[in-house]
Amino acid sequence: MAEHVTLQKKARGERPQYFADPAIDKTLAITLALAGEVAVLRDRIDTIERLAEAGVAPTRAAVDAYKPDSAVRAERDAWRDTYLDTVLRIIHQEREELEQRAADTKPYAAVIEEVVAGG
Amino acid sequence: MTATQDLTTQFRHGVLPQTTSDEFSRQEFVKSLKFHLASKVSLGNHDAYEARAKPAYTKATGAEPQTYAEIRKAMSEDPYFAFWSAMQRNSQEMMWKSVQIPVERQLPDLIAAAGKGAAAEGTLRLNPDLEIPKYHRGVDIHCMPGGYHTEFTADDVANGAVYDTAVYIYAMGRMGPLNSDIGDTTIAWIKENHPDFKPRRILDMGCTVGHSTLSYCDAFPDAEVYGIDVGAPVLRYAHARAQSMGKPVHFSQQNAESTDFEDGFFDLIVSHILVHETSNAAMRRIMKECNRLLTPGGLVVHAETPPYRDLPAYDAFMLDWDTRNNNEPYWGASHELVATEIAAETGFDPAKAFEAYQPSAFEATERRTKVFQGGDFGGGGAWWLWGVQK
Ligand SMILES: C[S@@+](CC[C@H](N)C(=O)[O-])C[C@H]1O[C@@H](n2cnc3c(N)ncnc32)[C@H](O)[C@@H]1O
Repeated sequence: MAEHVTLQKKARGERPQYFADPAIDKTLAITLALAGEVAVLRDRIDTIERLAEAGVAPTRAAVDAYKPDSAVRAERDAWRDTYLDTVLRIIHQEREELEQRAADTKPYAAVIEEVVAGG
Repeated sequence: MTATQDLTTQFRHGVLPQTTSDEFSRQEFVKSLKFHLASKVSLGNHDAYEARAKPAYTKATGAEPQTYAEIRKAMSEDPYFAFWSAMQRNSQEMMWKSVQIPVERQLPDLIAAAGKGAAAEGTLRLNPDLEIPKYHRGVDIHCMPGGYHTEFTADDVANGAVYDTAVYIYAMGRMGPLNSDIGDTTIAWIKENHPDFKPRRILDMGCTVGHSTLSYCDAFPDAEVYGIDVGAPVLRYAHARAQSMGKPVHFSQQNAESTDFEDGFFDLIVSHILVHETSNAAMRRIMKECNRLLTPGGLVVHAETPPYRDLPAYDAFMLDWDTRNNNEPYWGASHELVATEIAAETGFDPAKAFEAYQPSAFEATERRTKVFQGGDFGGGGAWWLWGVQK
């Protein structure tokens, strides 16, 4: 077998810092990566179940080689979107609150216009 | 476009990296995360702006923010925007990681497959002495580790393979199974606006792995198609991909600012999202080179996302996110270009310059957000085209 090549992992250029404490930047990065790995595991379980349902022994080789068709991919897309609603609950909560507040900052005249326009 | 059965997944040509089911799931997660952020989280930034950033800015300065730069100032401390930005940046880094894993695992196989060649009569000409432009050595553009040019081993194709897979995730599949939407859309514009145009030779500048280039083989079957780029790994991969798909293209490693083609060699010169990855000075040198390379009556067309002046200030601010957060140093400045000005500065007749919008050729209606914003590439449903006829 040919020699293993290691690719560069960090893009050159300074990484922006988004939070006052750089430990928060790291913690968020790890949390999102973990959310990804949970989704990977969930797909793996789904694969095992689907293979079993189809009467195929869910061996490691069979699971690793499994290629979801477009229907399965669509189901998984939908699952992941709901999963992200759950994982990112705190963000969606803040977004809802901001939406409410943004609506409240609208001048009353704008609200009348909207209602008249049928909104 | 090559006939494919399935429009919801990337087309499997001869050198596309294989994935195990776990590797594929990891990439699909990144795609879902990007779509979730673009379609469900990003819009909260606008509410944060209206509800707190704008009032705070107005109170502090005595006037509402007017320009996108003022909106950026107003939003710079907003916690919702900061958290969204941080997640967006992570989705980008996770994307590269998710495609590097399978490429690293099978790189020797990919290099061997790339060396095999196949049906088409395309060519590849590399120049190991070519100087990589400064604007590509400073930072790795859009956070791709190593950029387009770094070689990690002999005959390397790694970053071609990485880019090919990542673009499909980045655009969330909305550029089609071949990632060809920008090329197909540019072609549609050319055919609609110059129906009798029959180019003999076509040059695609900054072709990378040929996502847009190959569409020209089908659209203009009588023309010779050329692609140039500065990166050797992406060109080796582009050549292998084109050969495996039976599309004859002549790829060569050249700087678009100064090529070795003869004067007047081309009738049509195109670029697809090249301009925003150069610099002000380089862009002008590229246009001068286009002028030299075109026959009289020839056409140059560059495809990009819209200039900021065409967008509401808030949208321009969101589209400008990449400049500061995604290693795209020239993104902002390139979105201020004016076609007539550049034409005048580079020896063309400004009266023959144009700016236009063309709706995306690939139909992905249900997944388009219809806004131009950072982290939502290909979501706008149209491309901005500018250029000039010689
Ligand atoms: C975003 S990619 C273009 C993608 C491609 N055109 C497509 O439609 O898929 C930008 C490419 O431009 C290349 N590039 C940047 N500056 C260049 C220059 N001065 N001459 C030639 N290629 C250049 C980069 O190496 C990179 O491959």
